[in-house]
Amino acid sequence: MKRTLLTGNGAAAWGARLAGVDYIPAFPITPQTEIIEAIANWADSGEISGRMVTLESEHSMITAAGAAAATGVRVFTATSSQGLLYGMEMLYTVAGWRAPFVLVNVSRGLSAPITLEPDHNDILAARDSGFLQIHCATCQEVLDSILLAYRLGEDERVRLPVIVNMDGFYLSFTREPVEIPNQDVVNRFLPPYDPENISFRASQPTSQAVAVLGGGPYSYFRYEMHLAAQKSIEVFDKITRQFSEEFGRSYDAVEAYRTEDAEFIFVMIGSFATKAKEAVDRLRDAGRAIGLIRPRLLRPFPEAQIRRLLNGKKGVAVIDQNLSMGKGGILYTEIASALYGQPDAPPILVSFIGGLGGRDISQEEFFEMANNIRRAVEEGSAPPPRLLYTEGEMKEVRKLQAMANVERQM
Amino acid sequence: MYRIRFHGRGGQGMKTASRILGTAFFLEGFEVQDAPRYGAERRGAPIFAYVRADREAINERGIIGRPDLVIVADESLVPIAAAGVMTGITGDTVILINSTVPPDLWQNRLNITGPILTLPMTTEVEDRLEARFIGALCAGAAVRLVDVISLKSLKAAIGRELEPLGPEIVKKNMEKALIAYNSMDGHAGCVKEGGGMKAEEYERPTWIDLPFDEAALSAPVIHGAATSELMKTGLWRTMRPLIDYDQCNRCWWLCSTFCPDGAIRINDEGYPEIDYEHCKGCMICLANCPPHAISAIPEEQAKGRSEGGKKS
Amino acid sequence: MDETRFKRIKDLPSTHILGTGTAMCAGCGGLEAVHEVYDILGEKTVFVNAAGCMTLLSIYPFTPFRGSWLYTAMASAPAGAQGIRDALDILLEKKRIPRDEDMDVVVLTGDGSAYGMGLSATSGAMERNLDFIYLCYDNEGYGNTGQQYSSATPHAARTSTSKGPKGFPGYKKDLFSIWVAHNPLYVATVLGAEPLDLARKIEKAKELKGPRLIIALSPCPTGWDFDPSESVEIGKLAVKTGIWPLKEYIDGKVVHTKVPDRRLPVEEYLKKQGRFAHLFSPKRNDKLIGEIQESVDKYWKGI
Repeated sequence: MKRTLLTGNGAAAWGARLAGVDYIPAFPITPQTEIIEAIANWADSGEISGRMVTLESEHSMITAAGAAAATGVRVFTATSSQGLLYGMEMLYTVAGWRAPFVLVNVSRGLSAPITLEPDHNDILAARDSGFLQIHCATCQEVLDSILLAYRLGEDERVRLPVIVNMDGFYLSFTREPVEIPNQDVVNRFLPPYDPENISFRASQPTSQAVAVLGGGPYSYFRYEMHLAAQKSIEVFDKITRQFSEEFGRSYDAVEAYRTEDAEFIFVMIGSFATKAKEAVDRLRDAGRAIGLIRPRLLRPFPEAQIRRLLNGKKGVAVIDQNLSMGKGGILYTEIASALYGQPDAPPILVSFIGGLGGRDISQEEFFEMANNIRRAVEEGSAPPPRLLYTEGEMKEVRKLQAMANVERQM
Repeated sequence: MYRIRFHGRGGQGMKTASRILGTAFFLEGFEVQDAPRYGAERRGAPIFAYVRADREAINERGIIGRPDLVIVADESLVPIAAAGVMTGITGDTVILINSTVPPDLWQNRLNITGPILTLPMTTEVEDRLEARFIGALCAGAAVRLVDVISLKSLKAAIGRELEPLGPEIVKKNMEKALIAYNSMDGHAGCVKEGGGMKAEEYERPTWIDLPFDEAALSAPVIHGAATSELMKTGLWRTMRPLIDYDQCNRCWWLCSTFCPDGAIRINDEGYPEIDYEHCKGCMICLANCPPHAISAIPEEQAKGRSEGGKKS
Repeated sequence: MDETRFKRIKDLPSTHILGTGTAMCAGCGGLEAVHEVYDILGEKTVFVNAAGCMTLLSIYPFTPFRGSWLYTAMASAPAGAQGIRDALDILLEKKRIPRDEDMDVVVLTGDGSAYGMGLSATSGAMERNLDFIYLCYDNEGYGNTGQQYSSATPHAARTSTSKGPKGFPGYKKDLFSIWVAHNPLYVATVLGAEPLDLARKIEKAKELKGPRLIIALSPCPTGWDFDPSESVEIGKLAVKTGIWPLKEYIDGKVVHTKVPDRRLPVEEYLKKQGRFAHLFSPKRNDKLIGEIQESVDKYWKGI
């Protein structure tokens, strides 16, 4: 075991390396490139035995990943934002093949307008694809989640591909101390892949991913994917316990921070949740009973855990780094649906949209959001959803518009 | 509401029939739904189309479960369960079959007491797939059987639906539709509108909780070889190729090589044998047999004959 | 390899391994080519299929294959082949499977994918020198959806998206040359109606290791509008009129494998098909027929 400074990308590459992956179909995209550069270098120098191939697109990359998985090898791949969307057809397709592999997505805001900085619209567009999703908040978690993801996806009760998600720049290009576990311990936790009956062999005629006619068989195959995804919550609980025994780090499906005696809760996913943690500490210093929950799993959705953590609380702020145009925050919608009809559900659920396209969320804004929920609880009604956006930012955009010669109708 | 189903084979014009009837109802002031039902099936395979018509807006959708009228353009489909001709037939359903066999014989065969009518529509051709105007014939008969559509609307509907085929073909279709219409004079109005479902008394769906199956079981994977042979595509065939083994010179088995479906095998003596369970009746073998040893006969004439496909 | 097993038609396989009972149309020229190809390749193959007519070869729980099959999507079957080929190589290298479990990887797509949406993936596979066979059944249109025109549709053909008096205004893309420009190991055109030529080419392709790409012109009774029994005759006419040159590219050279002695006029081919009927009635369109003849003459003049 060694503790060293690694970027999120570096941690992802190490995760793949430790998992002993056989095959890495790749395609470069900022801010994910470091992952495949590191793997390519290791493959060239013989430090890993896996074979890396650069495809001509993410659509092809995901096809190749699925096809190799369907032939019975352990596959790793990575992409980001536009790339994830370019491969979207194949995300849905290969998930239905029921051949597991791991894909790291480095979240980045989607075009248009094009940007390089992160938010979660890319990964949430893949929400219903059949891939399971693990969301990370630290570089250590990126490495560890890749090991967990293989155990999870390859479990015979699950057999679904898994996306491990991290935020571009805030994790992908940010170095943090990361413990790189010893290979023998990893091997104990994650033995070589046994694909069982997933294969293409000359002696076993197999037709995979065939067509169906009619809604009856189609419903069966699709709903079984859903049942397997739901089953994966219990599988995840089991393997994280084992992970914790081997490596001393625990990863519950939902991270709960200072929630037990809390009256108010922040809900976030991804790396900005550590900013919320910091705010929770400062608010606690000020005597405020507030905590944070951070779903690590988004698919499967850990509904029971979320209910357990939120029921009985007075007010909840859901902070979405994504936007469903014409509806609002996606995580907010998911949390609301999990709580609806629960006898003990928190009466106040407030939606905030922040961090779009890498826009920072300041500590002051967390404090203000905490005040907002407290006020809403006192008044007994939730305010409308709010975009975190300041006067200063508006002025700046106005300046840009003037320079862009935008004629404004006054 | 009128609920009407047309059954035929791919290529026989069932979609045309449903569109002509749908348009005719529409021109008569009805609210209408018409649709063909597609599957993986191709020319010659059983298909159907359907029409709903009502004075009120129609909320029902999809396949018609309980038809008031079923028109069968190809009688060979009636006994084939997969064709679904008899699905949802009640004592009130009128069945019209393109056939020369009299109705009472059909009632005996199918063991039903409900009204059956017959109308020979395709006697002038050997191969029913070659017959033309069946769509117009079926629509013309249906119009008379419901008897709520004027001849003017029927003609206008044919004009609208077939216009791209040119005035000659439209004219010919109108003549054919009229013949079918007139031949149903004695049964005008025998098809009555069916009612809606009753919410007080219904058959409860047998819902289950879908059991969790591991992916080893529930992935869309076929473990096995050539399972397609369970599909009896011989049902698509309306004409049967027959090999005259006195003429067959066991050439170089062009019939077997060219048969797209691989439905002609070569036996131990070097004679080709046709697999009638799967032969789709394309007649490529007939067209390419060097000594012209292959002929074709209508499928119904071949019933009970085993020779011609197997060297005895 | 100069010696062929297939010296005369009698040498062709007399047993066929592709299962019966598929949902392909009666008289399908594509299925004819696929079953002839499969007889030569044998059961140790895994087909990687793109969206097209042949998607419907395998419908749960029915498959005609005695070997294996994977359905991918319209644009990326060659990438699927890449994944399977690489995975098999890895398994062999790491000795997780014995040699005799290996298979030929065969991409199977229609012209819509081959000439259009899948071209980038095919280009990539050739550039990576992927060891695979690509079989395109070319029925000159999006046949599975009702024969709309594709980039393989010939000039003047009526399709369901070119119903005007002049038919399709575009020209058939020269996929053979596009593939050849990548300098892959082997490229060939074939036709189910010319089984001996097809068998020799597939036999040759099977022995090579690298990208091997085959286009099979596939007369389509449904999309081209002719009687299914004429499928073979129309295919033969495509060769006799010079419309479909049978050729191969190997060792950097294009060789024509069957040069018609005396080419028949193209109209012999055109007039057999409903999709060209507007060239002959109600009024004969000499200009368009002439244009098609000219382009064929020009091709053969350049040989």
